[in-house]
Amino acid sequence: MRIFKRKPRIPKELLERKSRTEDLIRGIAIETNFDGRTVLKGVDLAVTKGEVFVILGPSGCGKTTLLRHLSGMLPPTLGIVQLFGRDLYTLKGKELAELRGRMGFSFQGGALLNSMSVLENVALPLRESTDLPWEKIERIARLKLDMVGLLHAAHLSPSSLSGGMKKRAAISRAIALDPELIFFDEPSAGLDPITAVEVDNLILKLNKVFGITMVVVTHDIPSAFLIADRMIMLHEGRVLARGTPDEIREMKDSKVQDFIHRALPAEEQRSGGLARFLKT
Amino acid sequence: MLPSHFDRGVVEEYAPQIEEVLREASKGEGKALVELSAVESFDSAGMAFLIEALEQARAQEVDLRFVGVRPAVSDFFSLVGIERLLVPEQQAKGGNFVEKVGDLALPMMERLGAGKDLLVEAAHSLMDPSSGGKRAGRGRFFLELEHAGIGAIGIVSLIGFLLGLILAMQAWVQLKVFGADKYVADMVAVSITREIGPLMTAILVAARSGSSIAAQLGTMVINEEVDALRQMGINPVRYLVVPKVGALALATPCLAVLFSTIAIFGGLLFGVFVVDLGWQVYIEATSEALQAGDILGSLIKSTVFGTLVATVGCSLGLNVKGGPVGVGKATTGAVVASIFMIIVFDAVFVLLLRVGA
Repeated sequence: MRIFKRKPRIPKELLERKSRTEDLIRGIAIETNFDGRTVLKGVDLAVTKGEVFVILGPSGCGKTTLLRHLSGMLPPTLGIVQLFGRDLYTLKGKELAELRGRMGFSFQGGALLNSMSVLENVALPLRESTDLPWEKIERIARLKLDMVGLLHAAHLSPSSLSGGMKKRAAISRAIALDPELIFFDEPSAGLDPITAVEVDNLILKLNKVFGITMVVVTHDIPSAFLIADRMIMLHEGRVLARGTPDEIREMKDSKVQDFIHRALPAEEQRSGGLARFLKT
Repeated sequence: MLPSHFDRGVVEEYAPQIEEVLREASKGEGKALVELSAVESFDSAGMAFLIEALEQARAQEVDLRFVGVRPAVSDFFSLVGIERLLVPEQQAKGGNFVEKVGDLALPMMERLGAGKDLLVEAAHSLMDPSSGGKRAGRGRFFLELEHAGIGAIGIVSLIGFLLGLILAMQAWVQLKVFGADKYVADMVAVSITREIGPLMTAILVAARSGSSIAAQLGTMVINEEVDALRQMGINPVRYLVVPKVGALALATPCLAVLFSTIAIFGGLLFGVFVVDLGWQVYIEATSEALQAGDILGSLIKSTVFGTLVATVGCSLGLNVKGGPVGVGKATTGAVVASIFMIIVFDAVFVLLLRVGA
């Protein structure tokens, strides 16, 4: 089976920078080009075990692409991704499957399979990766659904769930195999503020209770500052700032402050258009 | 000079006027002014009018300016990027007839190539014991078989019956001129079994299942469900493609046999009740006309057609880009490409099995 259609290019000098520490995830000099357009450029990051790591940035800054690189869905054009100390894009079949069993992924829209019930969705990774009998699997799936407060919806079809319920169901599926690490793509996107806080609290609870490391991509500033232990801020494919929420809040950089305070950067404010054709 | 309410109700009245102004300006000093001081309100049609005027001015190399714009109107102006709106439209793609046919056929060939790659990958995933998706995929084959096979029995039977009847009528009209009424049975049996049965069944399967496969997989792709499967260690090719290809490869020949049988029965009804041939005569003529090779060829053909339809549907569905529009395109593309390839493969079969032999 072909796992990755292409492998990232790794210049020699990068090899020396590989992590020998206990970092759970390490991204080194990640660069991505789509059709000649640079999406990410020289992104470095390290996620330590047990923390909530947030990747914050405006829409289109490349944060979802970065998440896909880190979770093994899309190889970068250049650079190294290390997961659990292993070089992610050199792994094959069994090793990769073993690694995938240790992580979960919560997609932006939930990505629940519409052809099956919520319970079957949660049971799917268990059926695939374990030899447990169905009765056991069902029991575990119900347990996971109860953890996110969705046991009452176990037999509903995903299409009949609300946005917040879909997110919670997706999280429930992501924790089905007791992962050590979960990736979240925009957990609060498309949710009202109250439901968004509920999802944030769920992420925090899973982090505290089970010690699951969380990597969260978001553009939601209050949510990012609420849940993050550490964060990086992306701007036009580069890391603009990194640190704890408090450190970031204190930064003097105008772009950082603009984004935190939801201001439109001066140079991007539109002045013009037809106005240029006015005779004064 | 433009009026106080410059909106969709009045813009058309001013079109000749502005053309006139521009024409004069292009002959003269190349400058023109439009007085907007009276304009209090504005709508999108008014805006479009001005942009069009600027476009014409640019084409005629006239420097067009607006004067006396009130603040409310100028706010409205600052919202649009005039440079982006003034880009000239691209010329429609031309080309002679041969090029146009080529443009139509080449994507089909690409689809065939992509389909072949997918089929190889599917076969590979079936052999590879470490490929994910085996356990979870259990039972999916039967679901697909039920959907594509059992679900199609009604429509295949109905069309088969009607087509058998039609063919018998057409044949009889021609044959009775020569007093060869009896050969209606041969005509129906041979043409249905060799050609029309497998072909019509495959086209029905393409329309029913090919489109549904492409739409289903395409929607799964844009909902990130395929990514989710991969993330759970489930190979989407093994989990989604293999059961579908297997189900259609098995269901299509079964449906073709059903189609042919019912079509021959339709022909028989016409032969017995209208042509007055008698049951036994008709059945004997049919069994004499048909050879084992015809039936075997029909089965092989249908199996290939079924595989083709499923593979094309899967490969287009899995490669959907661009949201719901992409799903729509993939669905249409799956049916069109499937039918095109069914016909091409059919031609190859006839060439190899009949003309060649």
